[in-house]
Amino acid sequence: MSASGPLPDAVQEREALAERVSATVLAFPGVAGPHGGRYNDIATFRPGGRLIGVRIGEGDEPVEVGVVLGLDRPIPDVVADLRDAVSRLCGGAAVDITVGDLAVDPAVEGAATDGGGAAAEGAAAVGVDPGRMVR
Amino acid sequence: MTESIPRAGGASTRTTTTSTTITPTTTVSSPARLADETAQGKTTIAASVVQKIAGIAAREISGVHSLGGGVSRAFGALRERIPGGGAGTTNIAGVQVEVGEKQAAIDLDIVVEYGASIVELARAVRRNVITAVERMTGLEVIEVNIAVNDIHLPEIEAAEAIPAPVTPRVE
Repeated sequence: MSASGPLPDAVQEREALAERVSATVLAFPGVAGPHGGRYNDIATFRPGGRLIGVRIGEGDEPVEVGVVLGLDRPIPDVVADLRDAVSRLCGGAAVDITVGDLAVDPAVEGAATDGGGAAAEGAAAVGVDPGRMVR
Repeated sequence: MTESIPRAGGASTRTTTTSTTITPTTTVSSPARLADETAQGKTTIAASVVQKIAGIAAREISGVHSLGGGVSRAFGALRERIPGGGAGTTNIAGVQVEVGEKQAAIDLDIVVEYGASIVELARAVRRNVITAVERMTGLEVIEVNIAVNDIHLPEIEAAEAIPAPVTPRVE
């Protein structure tokens, strides 16, 4: 588009696919929003901004999708249905799904965040019995 | 020398362990493992997701006054003041989780209401947390450690005043 000339078709195609996948994901029942993953790396770069929550892999790489889910259905059920839908869009490609967070009614979560929080992800192992093995 | 055997075994059987790890079907209630999805892609569930579910499930049991207390509360107060300390991670007081591919371990700090049997309460909390996390995430919960940090006495909060200072009995 810029001085470097028109984008190669493949790139444009992937961007268009990412947009279609994003639209499908966001409209999916049980999905509350997109999520960029732990490092905000589940995203598609394109002119006009970053599309958070979808990354179309090159070649054999899987399609990556990051979502925030609601609590109304078990996560594995939603994820399985979502994977089917996205995979169909992407010609049967493998789809990696990251459930980055839950959208919970703040009233329910309520005092959960009062007084700050305990060690989360990064420091989750603090004070944990070192003999414990989590697969 | 005993140490070298399990270490070497652990390292070399990396490929074979994949077949063995699929076998444990622990509780009947736990849904199908996410392992069978490898061909179609993998599923990652963030620790904050498990944290929220565990926190809500623990709170559902009447007799639980609040979560947190003790060290975790002090930690949280500190973390709040650190810029970016809470970015991307949810800080839920009193709930610490460790999440693997198929399993999760949960540590809870709770404050109980006075009048509840703590042993019964802890059992109920544990049961509810395991059920909720296993059902909602499909992860197998390997343990729920509960630390009762404090007991909440309703009458003291109502009176607010500390009982009259103890006068020395001896002079």
